[in-house]
Amino acid sequence: MLDRFRGSPTGFSASAVVLTLREEDDRRVSLRRVAPWLLVVATVMLGVVATTLDLLTAASTEAAWMTFAGPVVVSMSTAVGFVLATRRGENPIGWLLLANGLSLAFVAVVANYALYGLVEEPGSLPAASFAALFDSASFPLLFAPLVAIAFVFPDGRLPSPRWRPMARIAVASLTVVLVVQLVQPGELEEPFDVADFPLAQLPAAVFFPIFTVASLLMVASLFAGALALRARLRQATGIERQQVKLVVLSGALIPFAIVAGWAESLITGNADTAAGLTLMLAVTAIPLAIGVAVMRYRLYEVDRLVNRTLVYATLTVLLAATYAAVSLLLGVALGGGSTVATAAATLAVALAFGTLRARVQRLVDRRFNRARYEGLRRVDSHLADLRAGRAMPEETGAVLAEALDDPSLELLYWLPGSDHHVDAHGRVVSLSSNGVRDLTPVMRGELRLGAVLHDPLLSTRPDVTESVINAAGLAIEIGRLRAEVRHRLAEVEESRARIVTAGYEERRRLERDLHDGAQQRLVSIGLAIRHVQSRLGAADNGNDVVATLDATVDEVFKAIEELRELARGVRPACLDDGLGPALRELATRSPLRTEVAATSERFAEQIEAAAYFVASEALTNSVKHARASRVLVSAERADDRLVLRVVDDGVGGAVASERSGLAGISDRVAALGGSVSVLSAPGEGTKVTAELPCGL
Amino acid sequence: MRVVIAEDQALLREGLRRLFEDAGHEVVMAVDDADRLRAAVSEHEPDLAVVDVRMPPTHTDEGIRAARWIRDAHPDVGVFVLSQHIETTGAVGLVSQGGFGYFLKDRVLDVGEFLEAAQRVARGGSALDPRVVASLVGGQAAGGLSELSEREREVLSLMAEGLTNHAIAERLVLTERTIESHVRSVLMKLSLPEGAGAHRRVLAVLAYLRAADAR
Repeated sequence: MLDRFRGSPTGFSASAVVLTLREEDDRRVSLRRVAPWLLVVATVMLGVVATTLDLLTAASTEAAWMTFAGPVVVSMSTAVGFVLATRRGENPIGWLLLANGLSLAFVAVVANYALYGLVEEPGSLPAASFAALFDSASFPLLFAPLVAIAFVFPDGRLPSPRWRPMARIAVASLTVVLVVQLVQPGELEEPFDVADFPLAQLPAAVFFPIFTVASLLMVASLFAGALALRARLRQATGIERQQVKLVVLSGALIPFAIVAGWAESLITGNADTAAGLTLMLAVTAIPLAIGVAVMRYRLYEVDRLVNRTLVYATLTVLLAATYAAVSLLLGVALGGGSTVATAAATLAVALAFGTLRARVQRLVDRRFNRARYEGLRRVDSHLADLRAGRAMPEETGAVLAEALDDPSLELLYWLPGSDHHVDAHGRVVSLSSNGVRDLTPVMRGELRLGAVLHDPLLSTRPDVTESVINAAGLAIEIGRLRAEVRHRLAEVEESRARIVTAGYEERRRLERDLHDGAQQRLVSIGLAIRHVQSRLGAADNGNDVVATLDATVDEVFKAIEELRELARGVRPACLDDGLGPALRELATRSPLRTEVAATSERFAEQIEAAAYFVASEALTNSVKHARASRVLVSAERADDRLVLRVVDDGVGGAVASERSGLAGISDRVAALGGSVSVLSAPGEGTKVTAELPCGL
Repeated sequence: MRVVIAEDQALLREGLRRLFEDAGHEVVMAVDDADRLRAAVSEHEPDLAVVDVRMPPTHTDEGIRAARWIRDAHPDVGVFVLSQHIETTGAVGLVSQGGFGYFLKDRVLDVGEFLEAAQRVARGGSALDPRVVASLVGGQAAGGLSELSEREREVLSLMAEGLTNHAIAERLVLTERTIESHVRSVLMKLSLPEGAGAHRRVLAVLAYLRAADAR
């Protein structure tokens, strides 16, 4: 069996098992498919033979449970090995488990064969003494495959090239121990000492040094296997760590079995039952754990499983102790067998369950799952802060980053009815551009709340990540609602600004149309009439007609003037030259003494227009209501805002209703993200201030 | 008088052409954009170019820019700019250089006054639409202008329009002597030099107004 590992440079490689069978590549593939079946069939046949021989042997020295333990161990190892070899054929671990089953079955057959042929029915079977010799020498086979698995678990390679010499020593020492015992000096062991030694024997002076050295190296190899697993556990992260952890946990059942057997032997003087059962559990659990680990089937449940096991085991002990204590105390007080005592004890246990469970869970978390414990505590304190008004729901993302110890963590909220995620400020965030970070969706029941972008490292601890995120569910939901409101508000504000801007553009178009269309046409008509007049004048007849035409041109003139005023109201053309010229032009048409102090800087068209209309409206109000004599109009930049002021020296005391024209303008200014304020104390004049965002 | 007309609206262009032709002037070319205007002015060297402010392609200030170009490239050609609305920034600067007129379009319907102004510009004088002057003068409520009397302000406006003392006297139905004393008073109050020619007066007045405007 061990010879198979010699040909491979790494000592243990996936193809090693099939190397001896291979001739061509395509045959190898089909052999690889057939080989698991062949190995299973061989193992089952050996198992049947071993069991039959065992049943035929009345003189069996083994304890009763061992009769079942053997087949259970063999079939467990073989079954898992078969699954792995067929599904993960490239990984040698499946093949090693198959080899384990086969070698165990083979050793069993040899042992039972020798027992039957030499003890039960002496002389009934050929070569029974060979079998007896092999049986006494075969113990390295019992653990050789498991040691190999320990070396290469879980990916089929040694932890590092530095382990190669150790692996070679393991193979060599196991082989030497096996071989050298076949030619050992002395007699066969009991009960086979009835037969002669079947082979040539080494002199004791040669045997013992070799055997001692090889045995020591073999024991060292066993430790090395354990060390290899430990090294894996240390350096592994993510899935691999999870895999190794699972197998190490199942392996830990063996020392547990030893302790159980020791305890049992102290109590009953016989270690068979407890030790046997736990050992059975261990040898069943180890192949299962290996299988689960290599198949990567729900690896992450492991932590939860261990956690729950610890919690409920502790809980059971505590509750049992409570029950016992209460019923004992009350039993003493009320007399034995009291139903009151039983009822009270039951009640005590029932009452203790809830609080105790939470306590124990916290205790176990604190001791065995520090990250989860700390993370949950941080989230809990955030929730308390939220309730007390000490924290804002927008801080939840930062709290999660802190709780999960991932500064790159980002909490995004889902916008229902759209395909977008937004951040806490309501800004749309694209998920595609987030590169290497992992995404964990956040759900609350059936409701999709958002997603957490985080370091992929956190995905290796979904128990921690998910429970911390879930604990923050309520805060996330509140944050999501606020982000959604913010986003919708921003959308509405943007569309309002767009509408107002479009309105100003429409005014500009209208003004153009009035000037370049209707007005020009009227001028043309006027010119045509003038032409007719000049012709009539040349013909020198009908002064009457000439006068009528003059009156008509006057009408045309007035129509043009009215159109010009109309166009100015829609949008003064001088806004094309900037706010300053437009304000000065506005001042020239004011009946009040109006001074203008305006920046010559240019701003966005809609900003200039809005400022102009505020000034126009405020001036109109000063003229109509303020009984002012002087007005000062100023426009200047203050950081990222254009500030327009219209100050008069009138009577003040303006009220909102009087300034309804200004109210309409205020709405448009607000739509552009600005504000209008009116300061008008009685007797102190009126001061209208408009602030408009104008960038930097 | 030989005239080139640049106006993108066909109806108006023809109207202007007839207006000049009815008065016995020669319209050597009528074009519809600024580039053709430049070509026509270079080719014909007319006495006067009548220019619309808004022309293709952008319909903003093509006319003003073409007028400036004519000023520089052909200083002998008078330029008369026609606009749809009052704009002081672009136009006024050109007026003060002489040989330049600036009217709102509907002003051409006042045929007599327009032709008189056009001839004045063709001869190297100035002409400014009264409404433009009003906006310049009216805009300066502060400063030296506030010391002027109503009549003096009227005279100042007509001076700015480019009229001579004689023409101002006719317009206000006053004697030329009275006008002369008003003019002296205005120039003194604004601390402007007294000059002989109407054009130099316009220059001084406009320079004053523009300086005030810039404050």
